[in-house]
Amino acid sequence: MSTISIQSVSKCYQNGFEALKNVNTEIHSGSFTVVLGPSGAGKSTLLRLINGLETPTTGAVRIGGEAVEEHKLRHIRSRVAMVFQQFNLVDRLSVVTNVLTGRLAQRSWVGSVLYLFRGEDMAIAQRVLARVGLTDKAWSRADKLSGGQQQRVGIARALAQQPKVILADEPVASLDPVSSEEIMTLLREICDRDGITVVVNLHQVELAKRFADRVIGMNGGRVVFDGPPAELSQQTLRTIYQREGIEDDNSLDLALAYA
Amino acid sequence: MNVHDLNSARPQLPPKPRNPMPVWVAATLAMLWLIVWDLEISFETLAYGVEDMAEYFSRYRQPDFSDLSRYLELMGITLATALWGTVFALLVAFFLAPLAARNFAPNPLAYRIARETLNFMRAMPDLLLALIFVAALGLGPLPGALALGVHTTGFLGKFLAESLERVDKGVCEGVASTGADFPQMVMYAGWPSILREALGYVLYILDRNVRMASVLGLVGAGGIGLALHDTLRLFNYGQSAALILVILATILIIDYASAWLRGRLG
Repeated sequence: MSTISIQSVSKCYQNGFEALKNVNTEIHSGSFTVVLGPSGAGKSTLLRLINGLETPTTGAVRIGGEAVEEHKLRHIRSRVAMVFQQFNLVDRLSVVTNVLTGRLAQRSWVGSVLYLFRGEDMAIAQRVLARVGLTDKAWSRADKLSGGQQQRVGIARALAQQPKVILADEPVASLDPVSSEEIMTLLREICDRDGITVVVNLHQVELAKRFADRVIGMNGGRVVFDGPPAELSQQTLRTIYQREGIEDDNSLDLALAYA
Repeated sequence: MNVHDLNSARPQLPPKPRNPMPVWVAATLAMLWLIVWDLEISFETLAYGVEDMAEYFSRYRQPDFSDLSRYLELMGITLATALWGTVFALLVAFFLAPLAARNFAPNPLAYRIARETLNFMRAMPDLLLALIFVAALGLGPLPGALALGVHTTGFLGKFLAESLERVDKGVCEGVASTGADFPQMVMYAGWPSILREALGYVLYILDRNVRMASVLGLVGAGGIGLALHDTLRLFNYGQSAALILVILATILIIDYASAWLRGRLG
């Protein structure tokens, strides 16, 4: 099982910023969870803790009962893939090499540093590339692709890891609406068909309502809402997006009017 | 509304930050003047010496290319020395640079050791290294290549390490998030991202080594420098001029070739 459990986690950065304040939650295996919240609410930090890109100041993160710890990172990361807002591909490498990067944790450095991969790894890469519809772009340089295509490569890299969990940190924030739709549909389909747990940070309330099984709302480093998207009322959205020290927030009203 | 009202309505800016520039300029000028005064550098000597210098340089007016084929062969030896020195530097720097890059180094100790090794290599002048290696290995291009290699490893390693440190944090995280280990991080997130820059540095080091290899001949490390040393000592100005022109032409060609190569690698 790959239930993610976050146990009284706090994160204080070196500059003194408290990104997370005693967060407790469980994310069930095979679910599709969307995390909403204003910028600086701690959404990214939460996701990065699960992959071990950040370490909690206090508390612990467990995946399927296993604690995310420094000396087990390679093992944990091999099962917990990450998709980024800026795609974070290696620009100069081909699409297929970027996808094969997803196999690195399974192989020792001896062959892989020479870009030699086993036939089975290549087969996996081919399958996931076909899945995201980029077979014909396999040998293009990653930076020659459009934003939407690059994000699909990002997802293919994650899939190549054959993970239990995919964490997507604002995967559509730099994409146009059509590409955003494609990417969200792809992530939802991966969750449904492969039973992979998907956790997505989003800024678009509307996408959250349509794609999520469960929405976690964050504000100021705390979980302020947790429930199915149907329960996202105007009032709960106000709680999620409220800004400290601003009583009558016109911008908030206008932003939520069409959400 | 008069001007006075306009002024009173103007929103107050935050206090202007201090500009320390004039202080720095004044301090630099003062130091330069102190140096002239302390070392008793006399610009008068330079002024009076112009005529003598002109006379001396005029002796090089007629380059003697009668022995050109030998000069070209010697230039070839110098080029080969520089090339091997550069290859040596590249090989060693390839392994040391990732350890000396803060974002890639697997632990702080390895980082410190790699950094200090590179600093040490850079601090050893290649002329001194060449003297040592000539004494240890005998005359010829080999000690020259070794001296250039050791010294420029320090430079190339530092340049490459700093390039690696500038690799986009996101790209590093992208590869790291898959569970890649240190050698895999270096080969996937590191070198591919800085390929173009790295080639530029290697070509610069090669260019520098060709120039330096010509000088290293003076301490017995073979090549065209040794020939230049001999002709200069025999006051053979014609041949010296020819040798200098051969070196100059070679360096120009390499300069243009490396610019062309860098342009090609988009």
